[in-house]
Amino acid sequence: MGRPALSSTGKRKSGEPIDAYNVPVRKRRMKPREVFLFVLLSVGSLLFLLPLWWMISTSLKSPQEIAQYPPTFIPNEFHFENYMHTWQAAPFTLYAFNTLMLAFFAVVGNVLMNSFIAYGFARIAFRGKRFWFSVLLATMMIPGFVTLIPQYVLFSKLHLVGTYYPLIIPQFLGSAFYIFMLRQFYMGIPKELTEAAKIDGANHLYIWARIVIPLSKPALAAIAVFAFNGAWNDFLGPLLYVNDEVLYTLQIGLQSFRGSVQTQWNYLMAGSVIVLLPVIILFFLFQKYFIEGMNLTAGTKG
Amino acid sequence: MKTTAQARAPKHARKKLSKLARREELQGYLFILPWLIGLFGITLFPMLFSLYGSFTDYDVTSRMNFIGIDNYARMFADDPLFWKSLYNTLYYVALMVPLTTIGSVLLALMLNEKIAGMRVFRTIYYLPAVLSGVGVYFLWIQLLNPSTGLINTMLGWAGIPGPAWLSDPMWTKPAIIMMKLWSVGGGMLLYLASLQGVPSQLYESAKLDGASAFRRFWHITLPMISPVIFFDVVTSFIGGFQIFQEGYVMTDSGNGGPMGSLLFYNLYMWNQAFGLFNMGYAMAMAWVLFVIVLVLTLINLRMSKRWVYYEGGDD
Amino acid sequence: MKKKRFVYPLALVAVSLLLLLAACTPESRSSSGTPTAATGEEPKVTLDFWTFWGSETRRPIIEKIIDDFNQSQDRIMVKHTYLPFGDIWTKNLASIAAGNPADVIVNDYADVNLRASKNQNTDLSSYLAEDDIESRFYPELWNNVLYEDKAYALPFNTDTRLLYYNKEAFREAGLDPEQPPQTWAELEEYAQKLDKKSENGYEQVGFYPLWGDFGVDSWLINGDGGNGYFDESDQAAINTPGKVATLEWLKSWQDRLGRQTVDAMKADFGSGVSDPFISGKVAMYIQTGTYNTQIEEFGQDLDIGVAPIPEREAGSGHWSSGGGFVVEIPKGAAHPEEAWEFIKYLTDVDAQKYWAMENFDNVANIEAAEDPEANENPVYQASVENLADTKVFQVPLSASGYKDLINPHTDAVFLDKETPEQALEGAEKDVQALMSKNQ
Repeated sequence: MGRPALSSTGKRKSGEPIDAYNVPVRKRRMKPREVFLFVLLSVGSLLFLLPLWWMISTSLKSPQEIAQYPPTFIPNEFHFENYMHTWQAAPFTLYAFNTLMLAFFAVVGNVLMNSFIAYGFARIAFRGKRFWFSVLLATMMIPGFVTLIPQYVLFSKLHLVGTYYPLIIPQFLGSAFYIFMLRQFYMGIPKELTEAAKIDGANHLYIWARIVIPLSKPALAAIAVFAFNGAWNDFLGPLLYVNDEVLYTLQIGLQSFRGSVQTQWNYLMAGSVIVLLPVIILFFLFQKYFIEGMNLTAGTKG
Repeated sequence: MKTTAQARAPKHARKKLSKLARREELQGYLFILPWLIGLFGITLFPMLFSLYGSFTDYDVTSRMNFIGIDNYARMFADDPLFWKSLYNTLYYVALMVPLTTIGSVLLALMLNEKIAGMRVFRTIYYLPAVLSGVGVYFLWIQLLNPSTGLINTMLGWAGIPGPAWLSDPMWTKPAIIMMKLWSVGGGMLLYLASLQGVPSQLYESAKLDGASAFRRFWHITLPMISPVIFFDVVTSFIGGFQIFQEGYVMTDSGNGGPMGSLLFYNLYMWNQAFGLFNMGYAMAMAWVLFVIVLVLTLINLRMSKRWVYYEGGDD
Repeated sequence: MKKKRFVYPLALVAVSLLLLLAACTPESRSSSGTPTAATGEEPKVTLDFWTFWGSETRRPIIEKIIDDFNQSQDRIMVKHTYLPFGDIWTKNLASIAAGNPADVIVNDYADVNLRASKNQNTDLSSYLAEDDIESRFYPELWNNVLYEDKAYALPFNTDTRLLYYNKEAFREAGLDPEQPPQTWAELEEYAQKLDKKSENGYEQVGFYPLWGDFGVDSWLINGDGGNGYFDESDQAAINTPGKVATLEWLKSWQDRLGRQTVDAMKADFGSGVSDPFISGKVAMYIQTGTYNTQIEEFGQDLDIGVAPIPEREAGSGHWSSGGGFVVEIPKGAAHPEEAWEFIKYLTDVDAQKYWAMENFDNVANIEAAEDPEANENPVYQASVENLADTKVFQVPLSASGYKDLINPHTDAVFLDKETPEQALEGAEKDVQALMSKNQ
């Protein structure tokens, strides 16, 4: 069934990974197990897709049709103009730009800094490491909103309220969640890989940048996606720290369709679908990082 | 945790760190420096403030008098809603964590195969995890409708009469757990990434040795991804304890559901903090939760020594 | 993919974006307004007005009012900022704590006194001393803005609840469409006549007291002579004979229809999305005055009438309940005098009348509310008349949080876990315990 045994000289130039499978996957007939899996996944997909379909369906309905019960699965009339209307109901283009910018910083900051910090926790020995790591975990355990007010006051004293800084700066100072996650990943990298570099005189920065980072692309991709989502969907942060409607983000903009009495569901759903699109696209695009393997074959005891 | 051979420095011999070890140490601190800056800059002060605040009658805008352990005493001795909300949250966490972890792992395994359309499948299964907000809650209210909702309809096919999910106090929490299961895509992503790190030669040689698929899973896959499972379990725990919005949005009374069955700990804390301005009391509640989560995490940590395998060596 | 090649251009982009950010970001908002000039010239003061009226319907209305104010004088410029409902008050709290709050904010009527006791809003007594506008408001609403006999906010709008009924359904059932039920007994009688059963349930239910915008607490007021949970001396008045009888009466409706039916049908209704009255599932339905706008939008073909809430027995009072919003000046706002000018304007006849006519909302200003133009619409007129019977209650400070203690008990009644007597007894005990703790 044709995959050759892996070559044991899997290492090319220092640090450059090679594909684990040396041959392209040929088209072949699916095994029964795979067919079963395909069917299973397809059926499951329907359930998982249901909410998205419901959102889209609602977004295309007229308010009268939304008011019907039982809800119609497919809209009787397709009101595509809902999307135009939604986009124009508030300055969404501006909001999109703002949110995109914040998300960009979130991704860059989190991917870079968390891997940097996590490397320290995972691969360097220093006194007090255990202590600081425990502190790290501890910071994750406090419910966010009791620190909400003191943190707000702190930023206020620094005269940063009303700007984006309170939302951007923390992205470059590490996030306990991602640090913890990457540390786990890094601790799974065999020592031999880094030992070799050390013997050659590399310092940690080099090892981090040239060995560990390339090896952890799947994890970093996961963080990029999570960080993007986090910033993209962040509601409370921008709400608190932004005072000028010019700096509002998409999530805040979406709320304008909810009144204290009544909600305009068709526009809210249209807006939600629009807001969801970049997230989906990003995830779809980043997928290759999840399937490109980490090559750990070089010299391992496997 | 043992330090590496070169820097083995038992505490009493602190003064005798070798030059190499000190260099190592310096680099270590440099690497975690950004986090330390964040910690001392913007995290520590609010945390300590809230710790102090828990011993006061702080109400954000008018007073902050030291009252000793009054808040804590009142919480434990005199507040039935405290216990109720704690129970609600514990119930939720106890069921949610195992179910979602197992679910994510299984899903990731299935989605790791090289089958046609896998990219699309992965996106589909990940989708619910990023859908947030009111729309999702409202959708689930529809799905959980006792007579015409999808859930009860499907149960009906199997001959099971479904309950009134959101009106019956017994079933409200399971309903929320079901909702969470649908978002396993987040965990799935994590496991997908970590499955990539399992060297395929391990599988190859096991196959050559005649190991069945299940044994390969149990003896290769699981141990190799165990660090990530550990991470997932711990963070699920921590995250699970923070649940609150669902209870607020999905029920009529908006304040904890039928007979308070969805009054989660965090929701109650929020009401105290932002509804009644008993911020000091809420801070005390937060720290109690902290202690509970800490204890559970430490237990997790200790147990992890038995089943978590670090390829790079545990230290 | 070589990471190195990526890092530099990435860093460059990041740095340039940061610079762009710094350049374009509006200055951190210190208290609004320019510093007073040394000369005698009055500088323009900018006020920050926070509301949650961001929808397409409400926003233009409030902004027109603001615009009119801005045009009418030179000294003050009001800037409107929309914040989502609910979260607006979290931000309010944080900004008061940090010392940079809004200048005027729209807040909930029910806990003005709580906020006042916590130093979150501004005492308006000194302004009222010069400008006593108390008489322009409905007395019931004015009481709610008082804390220790001083006013800390101005009432802006309110609402009331009416019994909406479907005249066509009445005719079909042989009832006189111009004679809505006046008492509980009539209500029951009519409801049963209006019930239309089908094979697996009801095609139309005449009435169910807890569907609609009239909850257990509202009914308890209606059935107990207009008395709420607390009497005039701020004592708990939960376990009263009137309330027990009411709760029993409410339960009897559920017993008659069957709990499963009630739950199942209720789950099919949603707020705003699928309305039972408009779709003909329920023939009589209690809702607010503004509900009429929904009927006009989604149910133009309906032939409806409105009536005051039926009284328990002839003469006991058609008590209804209401809510509403106030406008207040957060504590620490930079320009309280100018803010006072603005909220005076907001609650004055012109602004209030405009609000009432565009929104069909009940406003707090009596003259505006009774203006004949707005009252041309019969439903609106009925709602204004109903205000006389509408109870709007302030919660005693020591009982803050009482709802979380009462609701589980009343819920239990409908889950057959407690009898009405037990429930109200338990609720009163719990609330009293709470109050004594907070004394």
